Amino acid sequence: MISVTNLSKKIGDVQALNKLSFSAQDGHITGLLGPNGAGKTTCLRTLFGLLTPDEGYAEVDGINVAEKPIQAKQQLGLFPDPFGLYERLTPREYITYFAELSGMSRKEAKAATENVIEQLNLGDISNRRCKGFSQGQRMKTALAQAIVHQPTNIILDEPTRGLDVMSTRLLRDILIDLKSRGHCVLFSSHVMQEVAALCDHVIVMANGSVVATGSPDELCQQTGESSLEEAFIKLIGTDEGIAA
Amino acid sequence: MNKLIAMVRKELIDAARDKRSVMAGLYYAIGTPLIMCGMFMVLINQLTSPEDLNITINKAENAPDLVRYLSRKGINQADLAASPDADVKAITLTITEDYAANMAKAKPAEVIILADNSDEKLQNSIRRLQQELQTYSSEMGSLRLIARGINPQVMQSLKVDMQDQSTPDSKGGMILGIAIFTMIYSVFISAMNLAIDTSAGERERNSLALMLSHPISTRQLVLGKVIAVTLFALLGLVLILLISKIAYTFVPWQELGFSINISTDFMQLMFVIGIPVALLASTLQLFVSFMAKSFKEAQSYLTMVLFVPIALSMAASYNIAPDVLQWIPVSGQQQALMDFIKGKDIPMLQLAVSSTMTVVISIGLMLGMEKMLKSEKVVFGL
Repeated sequence: MISVTNLSKKIGDVQALNKLSFSAQDGHITGLLGPNGAGKTTCLRTLFGLLTPDEGYAEVDGINVAEKPIQAKQQLGLFPDPFGLYERLTPREYITYFAELSGMSRKEAKAATENVIEQLNLGDISNRRCKGFSQGQRMKTALAQAIVHQPTNIILDEPTRGLDVMSTRLLRDILIDLKSRGHCVLFSSHVMQEVAALCDHVIVMANGSVVATGSPDELCQQTGESSLEEAFIKLIGTDEGIAA
Repeated sequence: MNKLIAMVRKELIDAARDKRSVMAGLYYAIGTPLIMCGMFMVLINQLTSPEDLNITINKAENAPDLVRYLSRKGINQADLAASPDADVKAITLTITEDYAANMAKAKPAEVIILADNSDEKLQNSIRRLQQELQTYSSEMGSLRLIARGINPQVMQSLKVDMQDQSTPDSKGGMILGIAIFTMIYSVFISAMNLAIDTSAGERERNSLALMLSHPISTRQLVLGKVIAVTLFALLGLVLILLISKIAYTFVPWQELGFSINISTDFMQLMFVIGIPVALLASTLQLFVSFMAKSFKEAQSYLTMVLFVPIALSMAASYNIAPDVLQWIPVSGQQQALMDFIKGKDIPMLQLAVSSTMTVVISIGLMLGMEKMLKSEKVVFGL
């Protein structure tokens, strides 16, 4: 479970987060929906303790991130934007390395890497260096890195960007699989279709604070619109920065 | 501990596959000793002047005795007709018309040397000619005194007896200084590219934030990087030591009257002393690279920063303010190594102080990096 309470953060002159509060439950896929510049990435970085909030706090499985960053991060897996691959390492080395950083012994990390390679069908590229990978191959490698240590909570920052249909479908299946196994999945997006298709719970963000929460259907009902896209535009009051 | 080992292993694999880092270290470690050897060979050729000095003597017939004397000393009238490729120096000795007459009357007989004294290549030859003329002059003087019944020793008011205490090895101090400097500097050069790649480069590739999103402390992250870069620096040092040991045997040191022998003892000492220096090289360069926003910016900062060890090490070999420098990182180690190879006792206290200072500065830089990596600005390059 992930929860943030009253989070405020100013970056430069911009109030990136403004008294942001929400929670994401285990066994659910929660979408953080907002136009570009709404504060989605800032919020996720705060969850990892990479940014210190000016006010408020973030908790992962009840552990305060600011107070016990190591324990809190132990429960998290991150699919970052951008991916941060090491071009000179192979996916197998890359995934094992981050599994070890997450606290696994080398033996465990190697076994876990084999499992995740199997799960994501990475076998054919697992011994090639990441340099020159396609966007889909990069996505799979980054995703494998995020879930290799089986964290309770998985956070994805704009996961579907730049992916073709096949990769998007694969990603969707994996997220649904994680959900069914009781993980807490939180992802940020500005792609309506993704959110509508996947999420049990949507948090609509604009200008650093929560505008509305609920399931896609509930949001439509609240606003009296038939599609999530129309509902979203009504909620944030502008259609700027949205991809259909 | 597991995480630390994983980090060091990953950094080393990554670095070994990065041709740029490996090559920078290798080129320096292999190239420098070879360049130094070439330089020393040229230098030795310059210093040990050739047996025969060919010059132009005008009106040689006016002073046959002097010309004969010079030729006995290896200074010859150039004979271009006989050997056109002979190396003739641009020195002209002119014997005046009244030479013989003045010599006969025991008056100063005039000879003129015509040469460019600012030409460094000629200076030795000119000095040699002047010396021989001086010796001839005093020999003639002594003969005149004997002819007048006076002991020529009355002209010798001082008897200077120079007893040279330098050992053959200590004579090469200057050259040794340069040789040791290139070895110390190798840890800085070998560490450079990896230090930039693993800090500024890591941020540019967006993997720094990803690393910090994992349950590792910034201290572990800094330690992992420092250990990896230090190991790489030491690898460069080992390489240059091995290459130097082989290459320096080809230089004809004996012509200079001393020998440079990169002994196994020296190599071991250099390696042990090099460990704290390598630690300093890696922490200093990582620290500066983390401050830079991009790979290129880091490169330009480092070229400036690397001037400091060059200056310290050079100053130590040129004997500028040697007292203070004995206690300071890099120059302290350099002086200790020079003393060792000259066969003197190693100044243990100074070496201990400068090595301790090196380690203390490195720890300070590591703590500084740890603090920096907690700052959002550094991690995201804001």
